[in-house]
Formats: sequence, structure tokens, C-alpha cells
Amino acid sequence: MTAKHVFKLWMIRLCGVVTLAATPALDITPAFAHGERSQEPFLRMRTVNWYDTEWVGKSTKVNDVTELKGKFHLSEDWPRAVVKPTRTFINIGSPSSVFVRLSSKVNGTPMFVSGPMEIGRDYEYVVKLKARLPGHHHIHPMFAVKEAGPIAGPGGWMDITGRYEDFTNPIKTLTNETFDSETMGSMTGIGWHIWWIALGIFWVGYFAIRPMYLIRARVLAAYGDEILLDPIDRKVGVAVLVLTLVVVVVGYMAAEAKHPISVPLQAGEAKIKPMPIKPNPLTVDVIHAEYDVPGRALRMTLHATNNGTQPVTIGEFTTAGIRFTNKFGASRVDPNYPAELVASAGLTMDNEAPIQPGQTVDIKVESKDVLWEVQRLVDILHDPDQRFAGLFLSWTDSGERLINPVWAPVLPVFTRLGA
Amino acid sequence: MFRTDEIIKASKLPPEGVAMSRKIDYIYFIPILFVTIVGTFHMHTALLCGDWDFWLDWKDRQWWPIVTPVTLITFCAAIQYYNWVNYRQPFGATLCILALGAGKWIAVYTSWWWWSNYPPNFVMPATAIPGALVLDITLLLTRNWTLTAVIGAWMFAALFYPSNWPIFAYSHTPLVVDGALLSWADYMGFMYVRTGTPEYIRMIEVGSLRTFGGHSTMISAFFSAFASSLTYILWWQFGKFFCTSYFYITDDRQRTTKVYDVFAYATLGPQADKAKLSGGKA
Repeated sequence: MTAKHVFKLWMIRLCGVVTLAATPALDITPAFAHGERSQEPFLRMRTVNWYDTEWVGKSTKVNDVTELKGKFHLSEDWPRAVVKPTRTFINIGSPSSVFVRLSSKVNGTPMFVSGPMEIGRDYEYVVKLKARLPGHHHIHPMFAVKEAGPIAGPGGWMDITGRYEDFTNPIKTLTNETFDSETMGSMTGIGWHIWWIALGIFWVGYFAIRPMYLIRARVLAAYGDEILLDPIDRKVGVAVLVLTLVVVVVGYMAAEAKHPISVPLQAGEAKIKPMPIKPNPLTVDVIHAEYDVPGRALRMTLHATNNGTQPVTIGEFTTAGIRFTNKFGASRVDPNYPAELVASAGLTMDNEAPIQPGQTVDIKVESKDVLWEVQRLVDILHDPDQRFAGLFLSWTDSGERLINPVWAPVLPVFTRLGA
Repeated sequence: MFRTDEIIKASKLPPEGVAMSRKIDYIYFIPILFVTIVGTFHMHTALLCGDWDFWLDWKDRQWWPIVTPVTLITFCAAIQYYNWVNYRQPFGATLCILALGAGKWIAVYTSWWWWSNYPPNFVMPATAIPGALVLDITLLLTRNWTLTAVIGAWMFAALFYPSNWPIFAYSHTPLVVDGALLSWADYMGFMYVRTGTPEYIRMIEVGSLRTFGGHSTMISAFFSAFASSLTYILWWQFGKFFCTSYFYITDDRQRTTKVYDVFAYATLGPQADKAKLSGGKA
């Protein structure tokens, strides 16, 4: 090895050591989110359209009960690449079990197990949560589809204060016992494990106290196994065998006596009816859509007809949990909705006037914000199936909210010249 | 009490050789053999029956007693081969399960509790030590691996459910939440949120085994015993393959012979120079 090689080798080692040493000094912040932006936009935009998501009680104490609730629409433009929602589960996206989930209802039906849902229909969920681990946590509703995976909804921050040591979760069973989910069964399980591990160590140790490997290999090769098979080993073996079987039988019978009433694990199917279809006097179709890459804007031409008796004003376009509102819509956004998911002046229209009863109009709409980039929804342009879906929210003069799902192919506009 | 002196004498090792062999026993047994089994067997188990072993709400009457013993008997058989055939030591299966247990308990408190904050009762591992003891003792008493495959492997699987019932019986206690009947295990799985593990991932009594008169556990144990027996045979042969050394030698007359006794090469003397080695496995 030449001096040059030695120098290079030591320089590489030095770089490694410096990198390691510098690591704690760098501004490293913990990862708080769950990679939701990494989910392909076609998954977030064209499967579940979330709305009315509410993180009730954004700050709770350990042991307090709070809720995550909202509604969602299963898009009619469900991607061909995603398995249909024949087996789904409403889940929570959280950094471990910072809350324990006490109950979960979808349209009033408990959802402890999975079940099918219908494309094109709406569902309302309420998840009751009990605060467990103190901290500042990013919580999502999630819609899990079997063979497609979990689809993250919008994420909001929830704070839990207090001490984990104070957390208790006593629950009464049908046998009138009270189990605490944090501790029930732990000591019994650990006790049994200690007993069996002790017996296992005795068995191995019984042979380990004598020469184990080299000597026995030499004797076996030279004389066969007659010398090695000590008669006392067989006696001890029989004793351990009998002891094992007796303990298993007695343990089983004791457990049966202690817990005489038991049920198998329950795993049926949740039968959930979708929300009734509400009459909607407004019809909205997207007749043209394009995404302006340098302008970070989705431009749509809407063909809308108001078949109702009151004027209707469009205020919001929402997709993938991101809300683009105009001034009218912005005033109707829940102030607790995460600000980082709202483009409050992100929706502009060439005709902001209300759609009058009986009127049919073509409106050019632009939803424009850096959120298209930040939330990585622009990746839609890399899909083999370049489409989008979302919801238009509008209001009648009397304040009734109308929801119109929309979907369409998207044409890319790569330069300003083409726009 | 033991035949130790007789065995040492038969080994024809000098006292310093005997002392050295014990040092090698200690160095080899704990830091090398045990730790290697912890790493490999724990990973093997996590990959093949991980969810059944991790989660309380996966331990059903049908798949849990099938999947777990069939997965666990693999290394037990291979390590039994190694320990029995080379040293006549009947503790291979117990050693494997103890090593696996060490890995599991490290995972329970580091991965599941310290890192992910799941309480230990929710991720309580199952025990297979009773079955492993019976498997080892069957080999010791019968001195026959075929009988061990038939009797010991069947007992290994059959004992799995009853030996774990004292640990998990409470988790089948019924309760009613929002008007729905659940077992305690179901509700634990529901309460402790697993973001990437939705409920439908579980395999709870799926399949036709439960249709035989409702005796899911008995039928599963029987099937598990049968499958474990076959798995034992297969993995005993894996143990044989990986523990067998041989070489091929081609002599002056171009006759090629497979020689299993690798020490024999040293006894070839002048022939060794002339002989042409043509492959083998250490």
C-alpha cells in the first residue's frame, strides 16, 4: 500500500467520523407526519374526498375523551389501478397509539371490523378517542381499502397534556370484571414466560455444565454414542417430560376455571348503509381541465345548471383534503381546520356571480396555490391516468350547502407560452 | 453422578486440551451459537408468523395454532440435527426456542414498548418451550429422528394451544361496546391504533377448517401437528445438508470418489500431492 493509498483511506475515515460527530449538531427536527404527501395524488384525489373533518378538542389532558369526526365522499372517478372498496376500514393515522380509540361509528353503525362501502356515496364518521401519550401529535383520518392500502385524509395537530403515568383505561366486561387495557394480563403472561424459560434454561444448563462440544465430538467419532448417552440423562428427561405435561394440563385447567366464559375472536363484516342521497338542485360538470405547471394552478371549465329555486354561489373546491376557497367560501371554513391545508384566496372564477335559478352557465375556474407543489399533487402529471377528482362546495341564499363531486381528465400545460 | 470422567478419558485429550475445550464451549455456545440463533430465528419468525405472534387480536383458534408451530419447528429440527448428530446433545429445540424468546422479549420492550408505546400485554409473545422440551426429550429417549418427527413434532404442535391458554385465556373474555359483542383481544386491537394495520389484515378463522363441527382448535391442532411433522422432516434434512462436509478426490486412474470424512484428507499422505481435488463443501 503506497502512502497515497494510506492518505486516501484515512481521509475517508476522517470524513466518516466528522459526519457522525456533526450529526447531533445539525438542525434535525423529528418527523411528525406520516408520509401522506408521498401517497400518489391519484390515490388522494380520486378515491376519498374528505370534508367537514373536525379535530374536536385540539388540546386534551391524559384520560380525557375527544373526537375526530367528519364526512367523506367516495369518488365516482375511482382509479382503475385501485381495488374497489369492497372491504374497508376507517382508521386513525397517528404516531403510535397516542390516543386509544374507544369507539368508531360510520353513519351511526359501529365499525369494529371492516366492511364494504359504495362508490359515489357519502359517509359520516365519528371516532371517540381517549388521550394517552402527552405530546404534539399529527392525527389523520384514514380510509383503508383491502389490497389497496391505507389512504390518508387531512392531518391536524392535537395536543395532549399531563403524564402518561396517570393514564388508566378500565373497561367492564360481560363477566362483570374490570380490565385495564394497559396492564391486564401482563403479569400473568410474564409469570408463565418466566416459569417456562427457567425450565428451558435448566434443561440446556443440565447438559451445559458438562463438556459440550469438542470432547463429545471426538468420543462420538471414535467410539459411537454408547458412552455419551448417560443413563441419568434419560431419567432426568423422563422427569422433565412428565413435569412439562403436568404443568401444561394443570395450567390449562386452571385457566379454564378462572375464565370459564370466553368467546372466539370476532371478525365479521360491518354492514354500513351510506348516507341518504340529498336532493341537489345544482349540477356541475367539468368540460375541460388543465394543470398549469409553472403557474401551479388547476384550471377548469365548469358547465353548471341551477335547477333550484334559489341562487347558488360557489365558494370552495376541495381535493385530497386541500381546500381552495374564494372570499365567499373562506368565510365558511371552520377556523380550526389546519391553515396549512387551506388556500383561502386560491379559488378564482371568471364569473363570481351567483348562478340564478334555471340558469346554465359555463364558468372558468382556477384553483391556484403553492399547495399543489407542497402537497405534491402536481405529481398527477406523472401518472399513466392523468385525471383529477374533487368536490365543489356551494351555498344557496338561505345558507344550505350543496356538494357536487367532479372529475375529469387533466391536460398539462408545461410552459407559460402554452397557457 | 455423570459419566463425565469416562467421556473425558475416552476423548484422549490431555488436561490442558480438556480445559481448552471447555473454554471453546463457553465462547462458542453463548456468544456465537446462541446469539446467531437469536438473530436468524427471530427474523425468520417475524417474517413467517410475525403478526400472529406480535398482536393479541391475531391469536385466533384456527390460524395461530397452525402457523406458529409450523414456523417454529423449522430451526428446532435443523439445530437438533446439528447438536444430536455431531455431539449427541438433546437440547437443540429448547435452545432455539430460548434464543427466540430472548429476541422476542428484547423486541417487546425495545420495539413495541419503548419505541412504539404499545403495552406489553398487547404484544405478549406466545411460548413454545413446553413443545420444544418434549421434542428434545423425545429425541433423547427414542434416539431416532423419524420417531421424533412422528411423536415429538406432533406433540410440539399439539401442546402449543393448551400451553399458551393460561397466558391468553383472559383475552377471550367477552364484552359489549356500542352494542357489538367483542372479545377483549378484539377490543385491544381496536383501541391501540395501528396506522398501517387495518382490521381486515387479520386472518380470523378464515377458511373451511371451522366448518367441521365447530371444533376449530382441535382440528387446527391436528392439522398443525401433521404439517409440523412434515416440516420437521424437511428441516432435519436441511440441517443434514448444511452440517455435512465432503470433498471429491480423483486418483491416478481418474476415478473420482466422494469422501465425507474431511479429516481423511490429512491422512492421504503422499497421495494427497498426486490426488486432484475436484470440489466439495466445507
